[in-house]
Amino acid sequence: MQPPKFADRLLRLFCAPHLHEEVLGDLHERYVVRANQLGEKRARRRYWLDVLAYVRPEFIRRKPTEFPNPTNAIMIRNYLKITFRTLTRNKLYTTLNVAGLTFGVTCFLLIGLYLFDELTFDQQHSQSRRIYRAIQHKKGPTEDLTIAASSYKVSEESKKNIGEIENTARIVRTGRANLTNPENKNTFQETIAFANSGMMEVFDFETVDGSSKSALKEPNTIVIVEELAQRLFNTSQVTGKNISLESMDKPLKITAVLKNHPRNSSFDFNSIISEETLLHDADFAEWTSNWASQNFMTFFLLKEKANLDVAARKITQLLNANAKLDVGNTMSYSLQPLADIHLYSENIVDGARNSNVAEMGKGVLLYVKIFAVVALFVLLIACINYMNLTTARASNRSKEIGIRKANGAFQSHLVKQFLTESMVVTAVSFLLAIVVVNLLLPAFNEFTNKQLSLGFSTDYRIWLYALLALAFTGILSGSYPSLLLSKFSLLSLLKNLKLQNKGDLSLRKGLVVFQFTISVVMIITTIVLFQQIRFANSKNLGFNKELLLVVDINSAKIRSGAETIKAEFSKIPTVKNVSTTSRVPGEWKTISTIKIRPEGNADEHKISYLLGVDENFAKTFEVRLLKGRNFMNTSDSSSIILNETAAKLLNITNVSGQLVEIPERAMGGSYSPLSTGQTFHARVIGIVSDFHFQSIREKIGPMVLAYQNNPVYPIDYYTSRVEGKDIPGTLAKMNEVLTKIDPTHILEYHFLDEQLARFYAEDQRRETLLIWTALATIFIACLGLFGLATYAAEQRIKEIGVRKVLGASIFNLTALLSKDFLKLVLIANGIAFPLAWWAMNRWLSEFAYHIDIEWWFFAVAGSLAIVIALATVSYQAIKAALVNPVKSLRSE
Amino acid sequence: MRRSDLGEFEEVVLLAVAALSPGAYSVIIAEELEHETGNSVSTGAVHAALQRLEQKGYLTSHLGEATAERGGRRKRLFTVTALGGRILQDVRAVRNRLWDRILPNIRLEWS
Repeated sequence: MQPPKFADRLLRLFCAPHLHEEVLGDLHERYVVRANQLGEKRARRRYWLDVLAYVRPEFIRRKPTEFPNPTNAIMIRNYLKITFRTLTRNKLYTTLNVAGLTFGVTCFLLIGLYLFDELTFDQQHSQSRRIYRAIQHKKGPTEDLTIAASSYKVSEESKKNIGEIENTARIVRTGRANLTNPENKNTFQETIAFANSGMMEVFDFETVDGSSKSALKEPNTIVIVEELAQRLFNTSQVTGKNISLESMDKPLKITAVLKNHPRNSSFDFNSIISEETLLHDADFAEWTSNWASQNFMTFFLLKEKANLDVAARKITQLLNANAKLDVGNTMSYSLQPLADIHLYSENIVDGARNSNVAEMGKGVLLYVKIFAVVALFVLLIACINYMNLTTARASNRSKEIGIRKANGAFQSHLVKQFLTESMVVTAVSFLLAIVVVNLLLPAFNEFTNKQLSLGFSTDYRIWLYALLALAFTGILSGSYPSLLLSKFSLLSLLKNLKLQNKGDLSLRKGLVVFQFTISVVMIITTIVLFQQIRFANSKNLGFNKELLLVVDINSAKIRSGAETIKAEFSKIPTVKNVSTTSRVPGEWKTISTIKIRPEGNADEHKISYLLGVDENFAKTFEVRLLKGRNFMNTSDSSSIILNETAAKLLNITNVSGQLVEIPERAMGGSYSPLSTGQTFHARVIGIVSDFHFQSIREKIGPMVLAYQNNPVYPIDYYTSRVEGKDIPGTLAKMNEVLTKIDPTHILEYHFLDEQLARFYAEDQRRETLLIWTALATIFIACLGLFGLATYAAEQRIKEIGVRKVLGASIFNLTALLSKDFLKLVLIANGIAFPLAWWAMNRWLSEFAYHIDIEWWFFAVAGSLAIVIALATVSYQAIKAALVNPVKSLRSE
Repeated sequence: MRRSDLGEFEEVVLLAVAALSPGAYSVIIAEELEHETGNSVSTGAVHAALQRLEQKGYLTSHLGEATAERGGRRKRLFTVTALGGRILQDVRAVRNRLWDRILPNIRLEWS
């Protein structure tokens, strides 16, 4: 005969506790009476009604307690007061804590800003979530190509025929040409692009002048960016003015001036001409007729709620219904979200561009991940530092904790107090870090080549993340000390006035080991990166890259006047040799590849790179000829020279005029027949030693050197080996020679060694970033170590006094105190070495040519860590050892 | 004398406490009232009235002994104070006087 339990529980919930006894008693007694009279079932129902009858203010209102019940506000005020007293009394430790956290947070914020920028690429367009880039996948017997390009037909017809697609934007970068302001004749060679009007409708490009949305609708219109407008017109308010483009009779009318692209945009064009301009050209229909080609980079704007895969499948179906593919070839399309273009395009060829147009910049996902981990580690190290110092200091506060407990503080009160303390320290550090970050940002921006800022105009998400990080840091660094310190029993706190806790000590040691492990790994990483970059810049590349001056061919006259120009250049006294080539080693533009096989051989064609060169190439670049002979003169136009790799590929060991056939070539995209329409039949006349014509990340590929007037690719550069003196004079004389041939030309030149160094510019950037982060982690770890050493010395002051009295030398005492910490650093080394070795092996394997990891990297990093730790600790140790024992022993 | 601070239900409860004295507590009072009036009366209502009466000074209370049917819980017993007694007297006197003014020796005829 039990009344409903749930009703009781409910009653206990709302009824004031001091009334529970009489109320429940009444209810139960009445229940018994009723159950006897009416039966259990009805008694239960009445019981519920009775319980509900107690829902009255008289029973709900709680009785005021007889003890004072401080409000939260009062307690928080008290916590803050105690916090400030503690912090100001221990200035050294406060400084160490704040400095460590500030350093950590600064690194974290800087890296965080960098990462945020990398991860929000191309998201400034309002419809960015619905914009997708068309990716063509082409498979064939010799080809496997994934390229960010589509044919005009696919781009145009998809919009008309596929329901999911709302709009289409397409752009083709046709190459470099001269743009002129007809009023003042300012002329610049710029990358020229053509795009349809969808380009301005799908994307939201901000304008400085004019309006962008309808900018590319009319023929003979052009959109330029602010920076180009400034160069051409010295003002950006130029809508309605005309620009002339070489090779085009009609002037182009400027319809809009766009703001310069933000740094986190993948687009880098600075002028776009409307596609309408071309539409009535005779060639246009011909050029765009092939469904399977790769004319344009296409962006589709999908409708709201359109299914991505369905849209891609429909595009592929449309293509296959119309395209005429070679036997054995298959082709399909996929759609890549706009936001993925920056970081997820590693294996996608940047298509629809002339070979002299630079690729769109890409980010490397791996490094984004690495830096994210590094940022978290730095913050973690700073938190650990705080935990370490606070727990170490705690025994000095045992009296305080004891008294608080004796006066009735609960554990939760103590936890809150320590958390308040850590939150205050973290908040102060955050404010300082924001100041430091703003001081460092100009330099940081310069070297990361970004426009980051941390201020009122910063994206609210950054502040949100920063606040999260603040809360996380404060709670993480405060949690361990507060939980640990509030746990001790009152008796042991007040009796011993000391916290003896073995587990606590070993955890602290573990944290020091952890900090130093990370620091050592970072030092080793930095050394390896540094060595690898030095190796890359000083490696024997198979040719001499020093003092090679490369002049670009930017006009037809300069190209056709090759023989005259070479002759004139070599007359300049400071020029030793001149060669003309289609591409130069260390090229950023696409080097053409060809299909090649020995004549009369029925095997699949082999793939090789091809450079058009002249007879001076070997001499000028100092490439060694191994077998056969060099080119002589124009009679060699159907001769080729192979590099060793290509010779091996074609099984040619002795040069005997073997015949080869070259039927097709590609410029980064698909293979197509040569421009002559016929297979190029060539004779092998020589073999040169391998030389690096790409970054040393790549293995040296097979290379065919053809003569300058080969049918595959024309010449594009004059390369001169010059003397190191009077470079400006040499350049002026060259310009004079070129101006005589073509008065409109613009001199464009670079030095090959600088060009090559660009391959490793990103690595250099990463190295610098790593060096600073490594320094910061070491610094933070040292702050922590310094604090711990100070504390250890304080704790053992009596012991040191006694030892000194008994005759220990200062050296003995210093060693005694340093020994413990050295042990920790040694353990950290032991953990860090294999870790760093593994990570660095992974990184180096990315390079086809790389340094070996040598033992001294580890030795240097290890001893550096030891020396730094020793220097930190021994300062305190020596100070403690020098104290007069009378002082330390006199009072108890 | 302020009559207005004694509600009808309170008056009945106060009377019941006086009648059931010295063992008056909410369960018996509720049972008694239920028995007398025929309407169901919850202990909650009675308890609330008792609390109010105690607050006004008409009742005092103390905890009594525990019983098994109460699950070992003690009950709160109420007794009428002198003030409570006088109030009851006053109420009764007012009513009596009014009753007396109705013609005493004839039969009541309700229209």
